[in-house]
Amino acid sequence: MATLGGSQGGSGGGGRESVSLMDLISADPVAPSNEGSGKKPPGVTNIQLPTETSSPARVLSPPTMKTGLGQRRKKPLTYSQLARLLADLAASPDLKNAQKQLLVQVFPKLAVYSSVDPSLVPALLQLHELADDRHVMRYVYYYLARLLAESGAHGGTPAGGVPTPNWDALATLNVAGAVTRADVVPQIVDRLIAEAANTDPAAHPRRIAAVKTLSFVPVTSEEMLGKLYMIVFKILDKVADAGKLRRKKGIFGRQTVDKESATRSSLQYAALSTLRRLPLDPDNPAFLHRAVQGIACADPVGVRHALAMVSELAPRDPFSVAMAVAKLSLAGGSLQEVLQIQDVLARVYLARLCYILSSADALDEKPDLKSHFRTILYQLLLDPSERVCFEAIDCILGKVDGSEGTEIRARGWAHLITAILRFPEPAPVPNKDGASSKDGVAAPAKEGIPPKIPKDRQAPRPRRPQPLIKLVMRRLESALRNHSRPVLHGAVRVVQEMGKSRAAAYAVGGLGIDEDAHADSTVDSVAGDSADADEGFRSKVSPLPSSISTGGKESVSSMLSSLMEAVRITVACECVYVRAAVIKAMIWMLAPYESVEELKSIIAGELSDPAWPASLLNDIVLTLHARFKATPEMAVILLDISRLFATKVPGKIDSDVLQLLWKTCLLGCGPEGKHTALEAVTVVLDLPPPPPASMNGFTRTSTTDPKSALALQRLIQAAVWFLGENANYAAAEYAWESNTPPGAGLLMLDSDKMVAAANSRNPTLAGALTRLQRCAFSGSWEVRLVAAQALMTLAIRSGEPYRIQIYDFMHALAKGGAQERVSDFAASNGEDQGASGTGLSSVISPMLKVLDELYRCQDQLIKDMRSHDNRKEEWTDDELKKLFETHERLLDLVSLFCFVPRSKYLPLGPTSLYLLNIYRNRHRIDAHMGSNDPAVATGISDLLDPTIVAGGLSELQPLYAQPEAAAKPATPDEDEREFNEYHDIVWNIPAQETVNEFLGGGGTEAPEADSSDEEVVAARPSVSYEEIFSKGLIESDEEDDRSSGGSSPESSGAFSGRNFGSNRYASMFAPSTAARTSWDKPAASFRETKTDSPTAETSGVQWSQEEEPSSFNEEPSQNDDEDLPDSDTFSGTALYDFVAGGDDEISITAGEELEIEYEVGGWYFVKKKEAGSDGKLSGLVPVSYVSAF
Amino acid sequence: MLLCVMIATRSGTVLLERYHGLPPDERLQWRSFLLKLTADNLKTARDDEQFVASHKAVFVVYAAVGDVCVFCVGKDEYDELALVEVLTGITGAIKDVCKRAPSERLFLDKYGKICLCLDEIVVQGRLEQTDKDRVRKLTRLKPLAEA
Repeated sequence: MATLGGSQGGSGGGGRESVSLMDLISADPVAPSNEGSGKKPPGVTNIQLPTETSSPARVLSPPTMKTGLGQRRKKPLTYSQLARLLADLAASPDLKNAQKQLLVQVFPKLAVYSSVDPSLVPALLQLHELADDRHVMRYVYYYLARLLAESGAHGGTPAGGVPTPNWDALATLNVAGAVTRADVVPQIVDRLIAEAANTDPAAHPRRIAAVKTLSFVPVTSEEMLGKLYMIVFKILDKVADAGKLRRKKGIFGRQTVDKESATRSSLQYAALSTLRRLPLDPDNPAFLHRAVQGIACADPVGVRHALAMVSELAPRDPFSVAMAVAKLSLAGGSLQEVLQIQDVLARVYLARLCYILSSADALDEKPDLKSHFRTILYQLLLDPSERVCFEAIDCILGKVDGSEGTEIRARGWAHLITAILRFPEPAPVPNKDGASSKDGVAAPAKEGIPPKIPKDRQAPRPRRPQPLIKLVMRRLESALRNHSRPVLHGAVRVVQEMGKSRAAAYAVGGLGIDEDAHADSTVDSVAGDSADADEGFRSKVSPLPSSISTGGKESVSSMLSSLMEAVRITVACECVYVRAAVIKAMIWMLAPYESVEELKSIIAGELSDPAWPASLLNDIVLTLHARFKATPEMAVILLDISRLFATKVPGKIDSDVLQLLWKTCLLGCGPEGKHTALEAVTVVLDLPPPPPASMNGFTRTSTTDPKSALALQRLIQAAVWFLGENANYAAAEYAWESNTPPGAGLLMLDSDKMVAAANSRNPTLAGALTRLQRCAFSGSWEVRLVAAQALMTLAIRSGEPYRIQIYDFMHALAKGGAQERVSDFAASNGEDQGASGTGLSSVISPMLKVLDELYRCQDQLIKDMRSHDNRKEEWTDDELKKLFETHERLLDLVSLFCFVPRSKYLPLGPTSLYLLNIYRNRHRIDAHMGSNDPAVATGISDLLDPTIVAGGLSELQPLYAQPEAAAKPATPDEDEREFNEYHDIVWNIPAQETVNEFLGGGGTEAPEADSSDEEVVAARPSVSYEEIFSKGLIESDEEDDRSSGGSSPESSGAFSGRNFGSNRYASMFAPSTAARTSWDKPAASFRETKTDSPTAETSGVQWSQEEEPSSFNEEPSQNDDEDLPDSDTFSGTALYDFVAGGDDEISITAGEELEIEYEVGGWYFVKKKEAGSDGKLSGLVPVSYVSAF
Repeated sequence: MLLCVMIATRSGTVLLERYHGLPPDERLQWRSFLLKLTADNLKTARDDEQFVASHKAVFVVYAAVGDVCVFCVGKDEYDELALVEVLTGITGAIKDVCKRAPSERLFLDKYGKICLCLDEIVVQGRLEQTDKDRVRKLTRLKPLAEA
């Protein structure tokens, strides 16, 4: 990528661009024509080159030419040469020639460099004093301003360019040694202050330049700020009452501007411009006074600055500002004059000011004033510039800075469809006598509407009141027919804002807005000032008469349909950014009762266009999220749309953002919509899996983009995780609320009965379970792993018969061969999962152990209770203690897999509660026991983002630690809160931030500029998040496209953590060789906890010791053999050729007989009878390459 | 805030850039983003044909004039339509200085003057002058409201 000579970021290599800029430094430029010297130097030929790009060859041999000074230069001038030349020329006795040379040789070339060296300042100040050439002086001001700006930016230069060399090399320029910025800035400031005080009318252009340069002075102290204010106010004191430009008749009857008034208005502009760049000083009445005075300035840019300052002051003190502006406005009509001013931004600030003042509560006692400002705001809807008109619409809709509340937006919508513009009495037109546009006062409109229209508008005949909505619709429809892309984009954005305000109005509800009312009828029927209607609206919007017969008149809804038709046509624009804005606008304008089919078909059509960048698509998903927040009842519709994104462009959608949308919709769509919400997620699991990468012996070849396939896989992982995490919530099935006795599940070991019972009890959960079971077989290894974890979560959180169903399934999974029971192989992605079926044995075995332990302890409890009942004995304290310790131990174990509310969760079943409470009451034990949460105690929490830990887990701690909470049993509310807090923590915070940022309109974050195919992975906003939690995964993603298919060593090894939150608990089961070091810590701390825990007795320790090797898979040891009944050596056949990629791997040939020793992380350790091409007899091969018997 | 004004050749060589309120690392990202935008559509774009893009709440408007293209990046009040004002001001000034649509060579020949013009049009991240006559006068230190 070409850059500007590596000016930024130190990429100072010589790209061709640097050659171009160096060319500027090296080649002699065109001699000044007639500007500087007034005559051409002898021998100068017209060396103006044709328009072709300067090729490197041309750059290397620049055309020979002579400058006015007769110098020939072909070698580049170095920076120090330029600096030396500047110093020499500034001190030259022949100032005239020196100035010419400066203009031609030095100043343009210095401009190429990124910053200005302070050692140049003495020469610049010398020139400032002596030079008489205006061009030279302008350059002097330019460089002084740059130097001051760089001083304030602490080295960060606003300019790009060729990096300026190290100052030390230039130290010799100054006899006294190196010159620092700190030395020169006061000198410059003193000189400029003196010049700014120069009242000589002839020198006023220099004075203006000096004042402007002073605004770059770094404001490091109050003193400096005070000085600057003083300079500005001093100028304004003298010129603020300059008023209009006076004109006089010159010779030959031509009108000329009175010089003195012109000078005063220029100075006023310069002072206002500088004042705008200084910090606002709301406490200083002079500041407001001068700013308001500036509205009457003759200079249009001065008016703009004045209005900008006043509109910034207005929200702080609307009353004072309104009073100050009213004096001008009511007396001389200055605000009305601004309507005619040429400067677009001035009118934009006028719209803001009028909106702020017309909606300020502080002015409630001044209805006339508010009405006056409101009328001006409405008049701006007729402004010839789209920018101004759109700003006025935004203001009316209640949008100024994007942080407005729903109430304001709702009021804005009601305002738009009910308010009426009543034209004021025609004001005297300033400078009626044909003042030229150059003075900027009576400038003609230059765009949009022909310039004659404003004249018509000022015609004395009274104009009929106009409903705002009609004006706005007319204007928007006309803008949507415009061919300019920025105008289209702007218009569609305004429609978005309309949609937002409309949604807010629906959300607030009960406002009595009738969109079927006829807009025209309001003009006739609503009596009185529109201000009255507005005042009345605060409590209740005055209902529009909808029953009036209005033949041929348009209703609001019909106008909206017409507008939306125009918006829909805009989707044909070739600019993808405009199309994105159109889709967002349509999402916002979609009403809950409207059909979504058309929008869906448009989106589906758009998504098939590969030109869409991922960032834009994610923006639209965020829009869906925002729309849901505005109108929660649209959850189902929005999920329906999000399904399109998930299915059509899964590779470009950020799974974090999509998950957040799912979650928000799931939480917000109410009990009846939960099933639909979950269905929207599961549809992702039904996506056609990416075809496997082509393998030897297979005729199929992959045509899918591998990065898209990888992204799709990640999306599926996200969906699986989401199901595991939320299925219980969606199905309202919790173990701690289950009424089924713990032993009941064991009675349903017949799988058919179990499934039937599960289906009849809770179809939502049963459906989720079935999908997860299928994923545990048919997905890639990563998906299977997440599915197993999700199933475990479900098993722990659900009551019977789901737990036993999952337990049974997991057993089958671990043993292998159960595939046909649940999954049709044809539905898989074609990958061979190997003999054990899934390659998940090592992951599942600890899960099974925990479930085994749960069931064993439950059995034991039942036995104990029966024996106590039979013997009619009370439970002794020791027995209760043992029971309590078992309870705690089991809680610790299940907490390692997923979150459960410790105060409510009863691993031993509901019958244990009574006994546990007896023990707790005797020993005054806190039911919450937060400090024993293994997720915290084992140090897993250390792996969390510190901010999340600080903001999330630490917040949970006081909850556990509160003595009041400990004294009483947890109420359902507390548990719900606890669970919600957990959700807040687990749910990906970066995505939430993305949403909030999106909603807040934040956007300074620079875009990712990767190429489109890199965007899939690299351009995710959650990169930093992933860096923290699953760095290994990213590295694998970036370097290995093969992992999309399945069990490559990289993909299995890199799966050290998930980005879906579950990694924080369940990630201890990641069998990683690549990420082994990163897991040392949790492994060690886990062991520590187990041994250190006072409650962990023999069984706990034993469990831990047994578990370590298989859990962390550090060595595929004999423990696996003990644990797994099917872990004996068995034989198999190689399905495909495999070439060893590492020392521990072995090459095999298709059809070769193998002896499989054991499986580890998706790999088989196999032995061969004869050494192959690599000379090895044993080593690792991927499970998918081997068919095990 | 006008975050960035950048002038590059149609082929993607950066000639002039000014940033306001952007940290250095984001500048690089923006530069890459802008140059990537031009890769597809600017080679065949007509002179002064305006293009628009956006990223979050930041707007980009750009157009080609002669051999160079001008990018304006802004947010808040500098939305796409306000940026059109900025863009028009800059392209107008460039054409005024170069006397016609500039070639790359011509642009470099007038580099110093173009810097002065840009200094009048955009000051500290805000639009200042849009009228090319005023820009011309200010770059020559002439009185603004001369008849």
